[in-house]
Amino acid sequence: MPKKLLQGNEAIAQAAEAAGLQFFAGYPITPASEIIHEMVNKKHIKTMQMEDEIASINAVIGASLAGLKAMTATSGPGFSLMQESIGLAHMMEVPLVIVNVQRVGPSTGMPTLPAQGDVIQCIHGSHGDYFPIVFYPNSVFELFRYTIAAFNAAEESMSPVILLSDGYISHLYETIVPHYDCTITPRSRPALGMGNRHFTGLSHKGSVLKTSDVDNYRQLIASFREKQQMTAQRHNYFEYLECSRETDTLLISYGALSRAAYYFKNDFALYRPIRMFPAVEEIRKIAPRYKRIRMMEMNMGQYVYEIERILHREVEFIPILGGRIDLREIKQILYEQ
Amino acid sequence: MSNDTRFKRYLKLDLLPTPWCPGCGNGIALKTICQAFDELELPKQGTVVVSGIGCSGRSAGFFDLDSVHTAHGRAIPVAEGIKYANDTLNVVVVSGDGDLLGIGGNHLLHAIRRNTNITVICYANEIYGMTGGQVSPITPHNTKTLTTPHGNPDYPADVQSLFKHHNCFYARTTAYHLSHMKKCFLEALKFKGFSFVEARTMCIVNYGRRLGYKNSNEMLLHYKEFYKINDYAGELAQDEIGILKTTTVS
Repeated sequence: MPKKLLQGNEAIAQAAEAAGLQFFAGYPITPASEIIHEMVNKKHIKTMQMEDEIASINAVIGASLAGLKAMTATSGPGFSLMQESIGLAHMMEVPLVIVNVQRVGPSTGMPTLPAQGDVIQCIHGSHGDYFPIVFYPNSVFELFRYTIAAFNAAEESMSPVILLSDGYISHLYETIVPHYDCTITPRSRPALGMGNRHFTGLSHKGSVLKTSDVDNYRQLIASFREKQQMTAQRHNYFEYLECSRETDTLLISYGALSRAAYYFKNDFALYRPIRMFPAVEEIRKIAPRYKRIRMMEMNMGQYVYEIERILHREVEFIPILGGRIDLREIKQILYEQ
Repeated sequence: MSNDTRFKRYLKLDLLPTPWCPGCGNGIALKTICQAFDELELPKQGTVVVSGIGCSGRSAGFFDLDSVHTAHGRAIPVAEGIKYANDTLNVVVVSGDGDLLGIGGNHLLHAIRRNTNITVICYANEIYGMTGGQVSPITPHNTKTLTTPHGNPDYPADVQSLFKHHNCFYARTTAYHLSHMKKCFLEALKFKGFSFVEARTMCIVNYGRRLGYKNSNEMLLHYKEFYKINDYAGELAQDEIGILKTTTVS
């Protein structure tokens, strides 16, 4: 397989094709638009530009129920619009992939500088309890690799899987070999047209509505959780770099910001979650080796709560806001505080 | 089975009764849809019903077909996704006026523009019934509802005007004009392209009752007296029902 110079968003599109994508619906938004640009030129992928992100996610739900591997791609504002239907897709157990190339918010923010402000929204954006699997790569090759993983996880868990990216990673050009050796999980549920199944956002058991059966509802939610945990076991992705020198500090970061963290690998141990949700448990084993745990995010503190929840200890938080990753600034914070 | 009851094969009879109030017009439309399916011999394994949220949204679950009960207002994009994915399926959307014209109005606008080959049947009861009786996009001017206690200050949406310059199918009918309703459904289902039937159904409990109707029969009689059939006209007047003339022939 020859090497190619690819943009992050192009790598997502190529990986989706390799994973068996057949249907794409989306709405233009910077910095995610290159994904739909790539899709329209692919022969075996039906691509629709819909009237908004709400229509996009719903068309994707329809296409997935009708038997096609389907995905949509957007950025923060569009991701917010999709939230209600993401809940629907979880309730109806529809496998699909949503790419969210994050930009600065809230609202229109600083178009279109990168940010990491949608991390919590991935798991709590829609009302009610649902348990998505979320990946967040940090390079063009990783975008390729984990897009394929996202499609596999969606089929395995029969639910939406979110692939997070950000304006930096998605607009980055890197030379990669666009190939990753792994099995592609095929569609498991028969397509619409079988005759008498009912898919609904109401609480249900199979095709039967159970809108006032409390026990059934509790079982349903527990089954969603179990499905997520079972699938996640097969996708245990993280990166841990021990420091070559003696250090008492573990520096945690992810996505674009973790690229900057590599510059400090001689002074700190580095940890990077790739499977963001459900959080990778290995951090429990790694953390006790370090007296001090510091975490950098391009938001005012979102994933830090997840880390603190797992570790039951305090984590020092460093916000890097406004879409600027400045090594001098980070260095100053890391070494002077 | 005799011919009159053959339509029942499209229904999950064991789920009856429906959650609809006594006197509701939705059941009339539901039965007529099944009669139209039966007359066209639609295959049960190649037909999918999609609905939104509201009283009408509960229809989907009663069809003995694969059916999808989507989020509020999103029946049309889901149906479009299904149709793009598998062109051989007959995709029918059954939902209400609040769902299709209110919260989902944007999707209707663009489905018309794309002329996706699906059929949309709108139970147009002029009210948000399930939530208690709030003003809907087609509630007539000056009508009192829970959210317009002094009368609706706005005018109802002119739905047919959306269809005028597109080669789509539009028809308006009522729960009183049974054979006309069936004719509209049949032509809509046969139409190659986007088809929309606005079927006026009565809501006595959360609408008619407050307007002075004693029972739903009085509402039906109002349909009988108010509406005149005017099929294949260029434009339907407010008191007319019928199939709008389209430039393409199905």
